[in-house]
Amino acid sequence: MSDERDQITRSFRPGEWFGIFGEHATVLLPPSEKARVAALWEIVDDGAGFDETLDALIATGLRDLPGFVLVSETGGETKVVIRGDARAGFATQDGPVDLDGATATTWVERSLRGVTRMTVEVGEESGSSDLRLAGGLVRLSRVDQPPRADPAEEVEDAQPLVTEPVVAEPEVEEPVVEKPVAEPLGDVEDTQAVPFLGGAHLEEEPAPEAVGEEEPGYDEPPIWVPTPTPPPFGAPVNPPPVGGGTDEDHDGMTRAGDWDSSQFERQQPGIPGQPPAPSVTARPVARLVFSSGETVDVDRAVLVGRAPEARRFTSTEQPRLVTVPSPNQEISSTHLEVRPGSGADHGSAVVTDLGSTNGTVLVQPGLPPEDLQPGIAVQLIPGAVIDLGEGVTVQVTNP
Amino acid sequence: MTEQFRGVELHHGAATDVGLVREVNEDSFLAAPPVFVVADGMGGHESGDVASAIVVEEFGRLADEGYDARRGAEVVAATLGTCQERIAEFGAAHRARGTRSFYAGTTAVVALLVEDDEGPKWLLANLGDSRIYRFADGVLDQVSVDHSLVQELVDAGTITAADAATHPERHVITRALGGPDRAEADYFLLPLPSVERLLLCSDGVTGMIDDATMAEILGRAADPRDAADQLVAAAVQAGGRDNATAVVVDVVGLATENSYDSERQRVSLEQKLGALP
Repeated sequence: MSDERDQITRSFRPGEWFGIFGEHATVLLPPSEKARVAALWEIVDDGAGFDETLDALIATGLRDLPGFVLVSETGGETKVVIRGDARAGFATQDGPVDLDGATATTWVERSLRGVTRMTVEVGEESGSSDLRLAGGLVRLSRVDQPPRADPAEEVEDAQPLVTEPVVAEPEVEEPVVEKPVAEPLGDVEDTQAVPFLGGAHLEEEPAPEAVGEEEPGYDEPPIWVPTPTPPPFGAPVNPPPVGGGTDEDHDGMTRAGDWDSSQFERQQPGIPGQPPAPSVTARPVARLVFSSGETVDVDRAVLVGRAPEARRFTSTEQPRLVTVPSPNQEISSTHLEVRPGSGADHGSAVVTDLGSTNGTVLVQPGLPPEDLQPGIAVQLIPGAVIDLGEGVTVQVTNP
Repeated sequence: MTEQFRGVELHHGAATDVGLVREVNEDSFLAAPPVFVVADGMGGHESGDVASAIVVEEFGRLADEGYDARRGAEVVAATLGTCQERIAEFGAAHRARGTRSFYAGTTAVVALLVEDDEGPKWLLANLGDSRIYRFADGVLDQVSVDHSLVQELVDAGTITAADAATHPERHVITRALGGPDRAEADYFLLPLPSVERLLLCSDGVTGMIDDATMAEILGRAADPRDAADQLVAAAVQAGGRDNATAVVVDVVGLATENSYDSERQRVSLEQKLGALP
């Protein structure tokens, strides 16, 4: 990186957010988006531009992406997209421009000409000195471009690159960064006459969901069955053929798309920023004892409620539905989910309130009762008691 | 009807129409309780109708020969796998004979009764942009999520659901049977009591009439046969730009021994009488 010394173009102030600085794009992401950061780092560092980076950012939807900043400059034009709790100020040929992501429900987008100076502020500062930077991946709270005058200390060689801030959490770092971008790239040239799902956009999306697929990095023998890339289907997984007469593959209306399906992989429910949980484990991680006396082992997702239903699962990971009585309908139809945990929760069960009307109270041994936050998974300790209301409780024991 | 679902009584109706624009009806459907399918074939030149017919044939075999109701998702996945193989072979055979650009594909929505420890449930499966709706208490609820470009754009927040109805690429689907890639279906599991009426339909229906119209028809037509007829007729009347197919299934009898409602009644009777009757 020493040849980049004279390219040091900006300074940053340490903080909580992630900053990804590539040749053509700058992306800032909140602390919760660690998994996404690693995936984005790969493409941004490889020189991804505005469109490609934005596609990757929003590939899994906006709902679980609380905030981000994307800045990209080409040919004198600076494109900026800001969402959530982030602010940016620019000095342009037409005067100063200030943007605040919190002012829009989706995002603020602006195209600026002749930008001479940029300042972006995100999250809280955890340091007061500004460090210089060429490119890389850092934790920050503020970026100035060009660098703020006289940073307190000269940083040698853009030291924060990729290494220290992120590596601390191996379970996220490994699967993400090591994963080659978008495997289906394969032999693109192996075209066939079949105009099916061809991929003009093949190279663009390192579908963030692919992250957990490999889940290396556990030292103990894994007790989960690696999500079997379900084999029963006959056709070999050919690389999507490129182009081809899409004109002919219509029946007047419905057409097969010439889109790479992996481009739109949906985010699994689970903990944002962590690899998706192994959906089905080889042996149960916990046993649930219901107040009715029923016992259910947690070796897959268990959905509990007054009339629970399961939506959008695959044939190999069918959840178990457990109906509990609720004469006054105080328990929601699909109230909560217990599933085998992943990442830091690997080997134990986690409970998630699925946005129930009247909420869920969790009592863990030695801890005060806790109201579950909807959508936030909480690790279950043996001895924990989950209270759904109307006298329905679930006790967690070892399997 | 399979032995174990004796307590469940299903009434159904089905209708299909080529529409006003197309020459061939490439939709196929199966209504063989407890298995129901709608498939919307693609490819033209007598290939889409073959593809959708293959799906109906394979699931018809399931209905005839019975299946393991406790392994519903596996059963459906295996059957879809067989369909995929057959459609791919059919396409390959045509290409081998020189029609290089030939291909056949189809969407599929499937509903069948399965069973777990608690009793019978609806297992639903979806590949493509045909749809499954639940109609209960006068409310229409789309259960399946389209595998279509516009749905992905909606999910990504790029466009709104309203934009999707008029988007130029709204007929482009991202998963189907018959492509070179194995396409995994999405599955859904619903408790029977939550579903008074189930609707399976092709995009020739949903693309022509809106949800409010569909809900109005489903609420008005008591007989599922009338409901299916009227849905398809309304789609044709609205322009009939594509083949339109609807299968409507009503759960009319639910007499499992320990269903939730009967359990509740038993308990409340016990409380009132002080003893079981």
